[in-house]
Amino acid sequence: MTAQGAGMTFGVEDVSVTFGDTTALRGVTVEVPAGTVVAVVGGDGAGKTTLLRTLVREVIPDAGSVSAPAKAELGFLPASSGCWAALTVAQNLDFAAGAYGLTGVERDERRTELLAAADLTAAADRLASQLSGGMRRKLGFLMAIVHGPRLVVLDEPSTGVDPVSRIDLWRLIAQEAASGAAVVMSTTYLDEAERAGHLVVLDGGEVLVQGSYDEVRGSFVGTVTRAPTPVRDQWSWRRGHDRHEYWPDDDAPADREVVAPDLEDIVIASSLARRLAGAHA
Amino acid sequence: MSAALQAEGVTRRFGHFTAVSDVSMEVGQGEVVGLLGANGAGKTTLMRMLLGLLPVSGGAVTMLGGPPNRERRRRVGYVPQNLGLYRDLTLADNLDFVSETYGMPVTSLPDDLLPYAKVLVGAMPLGAQRQAAFVAALSHGPELVLLDEPTSGVDALARARRWDTIRAQSDEGVGVLVTTHYMQEAQQCDRLLLMSHGELVAQGSEDDVVGGTRALSVRTDDWSATFAALNAAGVPVILDGRAVRVADTDPARVREILAAAGIDGTIEPVPATIEERMLVLARA
Amino acid sequence: MIVKEFRELLRDRRTLGLLVGLPLILLVIFGYAANFYVDHVSAAVVGPQAEHVAASLPDLFEVETVDADATEADARDLLRDDEVDVAVVTGGATPTALIDGSNLFAAQTILGAVNATGGKIEPEVLYNPDLTTAWVMVPAIIGLILTFIGTIVTSIGLVREREAGTLEQLAVMPIKPGTVILGKIAPYFLLAAIDMIVVTVLGMLLFDVPFNGNVLVFALGAAIFLFAVLGIGVFISTISQTAGQAIQSAFFVLLPQILLSGMIFPLDAMAAGVRWIGYILPLTYFTKISQGVMLRGAGIDSLWPSFVVLTVMAVVIFTAATLRFRRDLAPERKARA
Repeated sequence: MTAQGAGMTFGVEDVSVTFGDTTALRGVTVEVPAGTVVAVVGGDGAGKTTLLRTLVREVIPDAGSVSAPAKAELGFLPASSGCWAALTVAQNLDFAAGAYGLTGVERDERRTELLAAADLTAAADRLASQLSGGMRRKLGFLMAIVHGPRLVVLDEPSTGVDPVSRIDLWRLIAQEAASGAAVVMSTTYLDEAERAGHLVVLDGGEVLVQGSYDEVRGSFVGTVTRAPTPVRDQWSWRRGHDRHEYWPDDDAPADREVVAPDLEDIVIASSLARRLAGAHA
Repeated sequence: MSAALQAEGVTRRFGHFTAVSDVSMEVGQGEVVGLLGANGAGKTTLMRMLLGLLPVSGGAVTMLGGPPNRERRRRVGYVPQNLGLYRDLTLADNLDFVSETYGMPVTSLPDDLLPYAKVLVGAMPLGAQRQAAFVAALSHGPELVLLDEPTSGVDALARARRWDTIRAQSDEGVGVLVTTHYMQEAQQCDRLLLMSHGELVAQGSEDDVVGGTRALSVRTDDWSATFAALNAAGVPVILDGRAVRVADTDPARVREILAAAGIDGTIEPVPATIEERMLVLARA
Repeated sequence: MIVKEFRELLRDRRTLGLLVGLPLILLVIFGYAANFYVDHVSAAVVGPQAEHVAASLPDLFEVETVDADATEADARDLLRDDEVDVAVVTGGATPTALIDGSNLFAAQTILGAVNATGGKIEPEVLYNPDLTTAWVMVPAIIGLILTFIGTIVTSIGLVREREAGTLEQLAVMPIKPGTVILGKIAPYFLLAAIDMIVVTVLGMLLFDVPFNGNVLVFALGAAIFLFAVLGIGVFISTISQTAGQAIQSAFFVLLPQILLSGMIFPLDAMAAGVRWIGYILPLTYFTKISQGVMLRGAGIDSLWPSFVVLTVMAVVIFTAATLRFRRDLAPERKARA
């Protein structure tokens, strides 16, 4: 684990990736500094997984550059389970440790330490296939950090995981960043993105907005109003019993109730702007 | 018929283990109720009893005016977590199957899904799959709809659009029960139910569910040292941007830990979240 | 329900292939291959009266060698090296027909023909005096078991990795692709080797099957054969997404080997149009080696063609399989959609 301040900044710069006819990423730049948690937000097909796979060099971009450490200093948790179902929790961790060159006493101590931190000590001899979704993700996370990597890349670590396990996972992730690692994770949960030090919103392979939550809110242009029925259906979306509406040019009618946009408003508004670009008067 | 769905003192035991204990709840017509709970809280078992797929050990379930059976289930729409669609069939084929099963004419596809009519469901993007699952489940005009994590993995805009559909249904008087892990989604519901260890521990608005849970926001110059110190002390910490949130802990204790670590900072009480309530319940 | 099930079935090409293709294949094979009746056998005649006796042999005997100077020892060598199915030794009171008992159906046919001469020729069955079917089958079954493990078990084991999504995990760890492949195949190699020893010993104990040849030659043949079938297993795993698909593909590969490798129906008796399939199956060559070594005590000097063919097969299949597998572990290049 590196000391704070001694870390590098990793990331991708102006990266584009196409698979056949599909453009998965277009001109994307994302920085992941040491000691920070960067959250990449976006729906299915936004390019989150491609971005992370490009960062770990599983995908070679058509353009742009990638700055990432060698495999031995990299930790990756793929969107799929990441652990071997027919092995126990302890065996999974031992395998990962072995793959990164940790053996003997060092490996045993590390395993004990990690299992305790993740609250998995009681389940150490349970088969991975018998773990709940949340516990499996925690195990996958431990396997990704067992060797104290400088860059930790997590693909949707908390999707489908129950809220309590998610908090547990978040604690583990934050702990890694607190110890100096650069952490980047993708998520569909906006509340997680809000809690990250730095967030990146992807949509259709491009970066919509990027920065700390305050910066993202600060750089948001336009107004969001709330009413039971919208003026322009295309630019509105459901929120509870009302509909929010986005006015990119700040030209909302005076009688509409203006609301301070939260991250969900910002993400949806930016997606709409991207999709309806050029269509509004 | 007053409520679309009702459970009275419902209990379910598996041998010595009680999965659901004395749960009473209801979903009114035109109401959207959210069911929350950690893994193992009993949500799935409760859902299965509500659908009539699992017999109760005690209490009673009333679905659309009577006990749940196949006849009444014809009037219920259900979207399970894995969508309930055949991935190796096209969208059109799936809808054909559903319409034949319920004896209804085939629903017309919404504009968004028209391009996917002849596409295998397994090859569709997740957002479109979820929308398709909705269309299939609602195609026979049910009076009660149960949705299991309906927007998991889907982006914010698509989620809002799915909720448009859900709200449209409830506006027409359909009762909707949604289970979710998304707090954003919980906020879209009219009423919430929180389960923990088989019991219904809270119900009502978000405030009702949060209950008396306390939370503190700790701001310092060195978030990572703060976080590390509090974490090491075993206090439930949540990183929040550059601040650190602490649940269910005395401010004095927090001050004590910070002082011992030589960290200076501000501690202020903040409204707790539903997740923090669930965290406290889990640690109990 | 029926309509839905049909639609799903029509999309599952592998199952369709199995349901429609397999009966057709079986029909063709049974039609052209299934033939227990041998209508000609290769024969050699040695000894002083070779010419005379050769001319008087029934039509069944296709005389390939007539050598008056060759001795009985030479004749036995010819049989051991599988050059001919029967060697008639002249020079004694009555000519003796030395019959290769390891070629069961030919031997039975020859025996019948010889006995029909009414004592004019004395039969002597070598290697398998009682013409016990088990003696011929056990060496072939050893190969079959190795094929089974190599293809089905290996492919399932590898596909499991793909199904679980853990292949991606391995790709990011600092493990060389070669190490991954070796690590994955080694247990199956060991398992198959142990299985083979057990079956061989059991076959010998239960059925009194002899082991007349060199154990090392046998082991070498088995090892090369194992590489070939393990390679097939790895290859199948690279073209299958699920264990179910892997089993179906393995089945496609396994069935022809059972039917056309000469294990059940003699190769010589098959119509030429179908026989060529037998010649491209690894099991055919291993069966030649195992039967040759166990029953006839044959050595590399006569079995070397089978060894060479097996080695070539093993190298080609294994290389192709490894290259495909490496692709799964290597970074994706933009060409793939």
